[in-house]
Amino acid sequence: MKTKQLKYEALVKAYHADIYRYAVWLIKDTSIAEDVVQETFLRAWKSLDALQDEGAAKSWLITILRRENARRFERKQFDLVDIDDVSVADPRATDNGNASQRELRRAIGQLGEEYREPLFLQVIMGYSGEEIATQLDLNINTVMTRLFRARSQLKEFMTKTTHLGAKING
Amino acid sequence: MDDLTFRRTVYADPFTQDKEVIQAAQDDPKKQAFWEEVKEMESAIEQAMNIPVPDNLSEKLLLKQSIGQEKKEQKRKRWVYGMAASVAVTAMLSFSYMRYGTSISATALTHIDHADYEVANYGPVDLQTVNAKLVNFNGHLENGLDNMLSANFCYLNTVKSLHIIVQGKEGLLSLFILPQDVTDPIDAQFSNEELSGVSFLLESTRLLVVGENEEEINSLAESAKQLLSFSA
Repeated sequence: MKTKQLKYEALVKAYHADIYRYAVWLIKDTSIAEDVVQETFLRAWKSLDALQDEGAAKSWLITILRRENARRFERKQFDLVDIDDVSVADPRATDNGNASQRELRRAIGQLGEEYREPLFLQVIMGYSGEEIATQLDLNINTVMTRLFRARSQLKEFMTKTTHLGAKING
Repeated sequence: MDDLTFRRTVYADPFTQDKEVIQAAQDDPKKQAFWEEVKEMESAIEQAMNIPVPDNLSEKLLLKQSIGQEKKEQKRKRWVYGMAASVAVTAMLSFSYMRYGTSISATALTHIDHADYEVANYGPVDLQTVNAKLVNFNGHLENGLDNMLSANFCYLNTVKSLHIIVQGKEGLLSLFILPQDVTDPIDAQFSNEELSGVSFLLESTRLLVVGENEEEINSLAESAKQLLSFSA
């Protein structure tokens, strides 16, 4: 039991931040994200014995998180809100960062989930294309295309806002 | 490497180690500039995605787990106590069964629970009927016992007995007549929380008298001794 406890503490310390960020980008609501992270780690604790390879811990947690998130939709299928309408509590509205960072956050939030998720895995989790493909159960070409499109869209968005900003300023 | 492939590759992975991409960038300053721009954007994306994490999140997670664990242990303890208790009860029951289960007197005491039912369903009874039933035991009842309510064949464990129920002053009294071949040792006196009984031999037939009041039990036992007779 003691060993399991230590293993769990190590897991929480090492991954809670990235798992939380993943949840926020997946859910786009910080308080719901925090709840889902809680659920994720509780479930991780329950099946901690199943985790044999510590190198696989991150991917294992992500899998649990995604499942917990899907479960949330199953549970709440009758009181679903359109997540895009809930912009108040999302990371795009956070006070941290400068104006251009807020803009960029908003742009990332507006990306389709199928683009945002692999982007997060690559940028924050440091996953390679192959690892993303395995994690999300996608073809590697699909992953690379989505990553390309994600950045294209962001670039386009940033160019637009820069021009807009220039126009307003000018 | 054509421009589109180059752009697609660096957009898909700004830190690609692809040799062809690196070569293409070295050969073409425009491509190099584009790549630099993408890397710059990448750094902005990283900062934007790296959203702040609540300070106490890890503590919350650990706390929630330890509270959950505690609850689970309490539940488990409760379960263990429950198991222990039921094992103890089972043991006690088996023990008392082993101790009293085979005793005819104990069965007689429990059998009295059915007395009301017997009286209601099989009573009343007359002397003739009782004597007809007593034939099985080679017995004869001289006169009717006072306030005789019913007379039925009842099994005490595996022993077929005649159960005569008499209305006493305080509740019902039972007289059991056992076959002569019964050899089970039976205590001369026995009781439980509510009832007590006596057992004695009349000629070679064993009789049991059970009731609530000792005086009445003894009185019925005396009547039985006087009025009943058995031939070998």
